[in-house]
Amino acid sequence: MKVEAFLKVEKGDTLGTLRNFLGRLLTEGVVNYLLVPLEISHGRALAPTLVKDPARLSQANPFSPVMPESGAAIVAQLTIDQPGKKLGAVLKPCEIRALVELVKLGQASLENVIIIGTDCLGTLEVEDYAKFIEGMEGAEKGAKVLADMRQGAKLPISLRPACKMCNVFTPLTSDITLGLFGVKEGVFISLEDKLAKKLNLGAREAPERQKAIEQLAESRSKAREQVFSEFRERTKNIVDFASYLDTCIMCYACSAACPLCYCRVCFFRTDTFEPESERYYRWADREGALRMPTEILLYHLTRLNHVAISCCGCGMCESACPRKLPLTTIFQTVGEGLQKALNYVPGRSVDEEIPLATIPEVKV
Amino acid sequence: MAEFEPKILAFLCNWCAYRGADLAGTSRFHYPPNVRAIRLMCTGSLDPVYVLKALLDGADGVLIGGCHPGNCHYQDGNYKAMRRVEVLKNILRQVGIDEERVWLRWIDASEGALFSETIKEMVDELRAKGPNPMRGQWQLWQETVGGKPQKERVR
Repeated sequence: MKVEAFLKVEKGDTLGTLRNFLGRLLTEGVVNYLLVPLEISHGRALAPTLVKDPARLSQANPFSPVMPESGAAIVAQLTIDQPGKKLGAVLKPCEIRALVELVKLGQASLENVIIIGTDCLGTLEVEDYAKFIEGMEGAEKGAKVLADMRQGAKLPISLRPACKMCNVFTPLTSDITLGLFGVKEGVFISLEDKLAKKLNLGAREAPERQKAIEQLAESRSKAREQVFSEFRERTKNIVDFASYLDTCIMCYACSAACPLCYCRVCFFRTDTFEPESERYYRWADREGALRMPTEILLYHLTRLNHVAISCCGCGMCESACPRKLPLTTIFQTVGEGLQKALNYVPGRSVDEEIPLATIPEVKV
Repeated sequence: MAEFEPKILAFLCNWCAYRGADLAGTSRFHYPPNVRAIRLMCTGSLDPVYVLKALLDGADGVLIGGCHPGNCHYQDGNYKAMRRVEVLKNILRQVGIDEERVWLRWIDASEGALFSETIKEMVDELRAKGPNPMRGQWQLWQETVGGKPQKERVR
């Protein structure tokens, strides 16, 4: 049974408390390894790090304000061959949702994995954050950013587009949840009662939490609907749709960054799409002109076909895009339309099958 | 101006629809010559990318022909196709491509007559619809789709 408890924070040192808690998970043998964001380059960046030695956690920040890559893909990398190691994975809600989808797709395993899900205050673009930190004075910059974001202070940089329209910022499923919403001081924690006992955490409820979550979800849902309706309004035919993608350079960064685009070899990077040059000339002959590179629209539409059903809205595609194409908007809007039609919520539970894998009812 | 002749690309499963087409031929069932058939081992092996490619390059219609539910040579390939086509059509609708240009039909090896009927029906409907407004790649980036159809181009 799950119980709710608190991690007490002393002298405002939230990160210290969290590091201490994570360290105890290692020393008490709850997990043998932890995947958690660690500050690198003097706090300029954070990188997902596989930690064995609790001493290394002195740089850890489970509420990292940046998400350079989706942790789901990293957990997949660490578990696909079921190594039998007890791994604790500190993940944001969208990373957990993507991981759940990867498990269903046979690309990751949750055996021996403890998901430590965190509330997400939203994330910043990696390059914005680095600049921001460089301009800050004093030590403990990461802690200050966390404190500011927690109080809802307005930062001079805005959240990533995906985060601005995210209305599921608490974990849908997790073994341990670390929460900040609706808690003024300390950190909310939800975990199995046996584990709470082992770690000496007394049960305590967080009465304000649900309300705080609902409030934020409501305003985010509005922003989300706004984005969706604008896109639908603007997209009357395929040329309108293509106009969103007209500066694409076919670098495949979106596909590399997407946690759900898991093919080992992308079809678009095979010989099929490297024809002899003669074919391009023939095409140009036929139509009078040929936009290079070719197949931009085919690429994005195919990616939609492959991942829209499972798209969890992490927005890694857009963050990785050198042209900053509105990929989150496209994938989330089309994804939502598709998911609603198939009555499917990606990332909710490993027990719900992906509709493509189920045998549909027969209409003869 | 001559009547518009739709071009249909047909992905036919080796075990049912393709043999249905064969039977239509040997039984002398007439059907319009607007269809170019591509034989697949199973509709379940058809990646939607090929259907998209056909539509983006100006095919007026795409027919996917497979075995009736329960009859798949590979147990459940046609069910997979059913789901994929459902997803594909939903996405086509959302990005502004006419989903009705994609047909998924079950045609048995013994149903030569059904094959010829299906093609006739499809040609009639596509004729009523008119040419695929997406007449090629360049148009995507340059011209209005859905306006007047372009001059028929040589293919």
